Amino acid sequence: MEMDSQETQPIISSSPPGRISLRPMTLSDVDDYMVWATDPKVARFCTWEPCTSRDEAIKYITDRVLTHPWLRAICLEDDRPIGYILIMAVDNIRKEIGYVLARKYWGKGFATEAVRLVTAEVFKEFPEIERLEALVDVDNVGSQRVLEKVGFTKEGVMRKFLCIKGSVRDTVMFSFLPTDTLK
Amino acid sequence: MDAHDFLRWAGDDRVTGNLRWPAFTSEEEALTFIRDVCLPHPWRRSICIDDRSIGFISIFPETGDNRFKAHIGYGLSHEYWGKGITTRAVSVAVSQVFNDLPHVLRLQAFVQTQNKASQRVVEKIGFQKECLLRKYTYLKGQIYDVFVYSLLSSDLLPLP
Repeated sequence: MEMDSQETQPIISSSPPGRISLRPMTLSDVDDYMVWATDPKVARFCTWEPCTSRDEAIKYITDRVLTHPWLRAICLEDDRPIGYILIMAVDNIRKEIGYVLARKYWGKGFATEAVRLVTAEVFKEFPEIERLEALVDVDNVGSQRVLEKVGFTKEGVMRKFLCIKGSVRDTVMFSFLPTDTLK
Repeated sequence: MDAHDFLRWAGDDRVTGNLRWPAFTSEEEALTFIRDVCLPHPWRRSICIDDRSIGFISIFPETGDNRFKAHIGYGLSHEYWGKGITTRAVSVAVSQVFNDLPHVLRLQAFVQTQNKASQRVVEKIGFQKECLLRKYTYLKGQIYDVFVYSLLSSDLLPLP
């Protein structure tokens, strides 16, 4: 999922193509990984606790990130990751998308671009998939907006659906089907 | 013991069409199912008339961190459809299950969009319709849209 980067002026209102690229993570990304992984505001709606040491980060990247069946670093023009995006298999016909971004890069459309790129490709890479879904905490408004901007359908709110760090949370369900249109 | 009665409805495609298990074709298959699935099940009841099984209600909590939520499933012998039996039985079951399984906070029913009768059951009991999930379930060779209904243990608390 490589895209050639292009030189662009920072634009406030639109998302020009090519600002980000997606590539596999490597162990040499550990310091950039720690920028978001140690941040409790980033971890707030995730199942994981913030990372507390470089050794812990190396272990997590080795055991969970590098072994993941589909995970890509979201990189800016300098090829350094500012977050990652991943696809999880739910069953034979369904996959789930998830993404995380360092807080410094929130609100600029990077997650929207990454989700749009992955959504455009996932049904080609996995032609048996009938449904791509995303589950977002009811309070995570930023992430809900990402999915809405890409063209996911908000299907409803499921009450007390997910347990995040011991707390049972209401969860918004979004989906994108191969027959849907990207915005 | 119940295998003969069980087979009367569990061998009927009209009843099992929307369920995950196939219609049984022999008493032996039915007995095996009762022994291996029903008896060890965390919460499963027969719906009975005159102490004979005419259907079932099954509540199955998820595992590990997710055991606070449980799926509810039910089936009724075709000859008893349309009389409000399932609604009454599920209504009783729901009040019992929150007592019997106190860690369960959320009961959920995922009902195929074409199964109007089943939707009426949960609606009459007071489940809340939360979502339409598109292309959610792959069952016996077909892909279905489902409505998600939920009833929380807190929904049943008396109003202050």
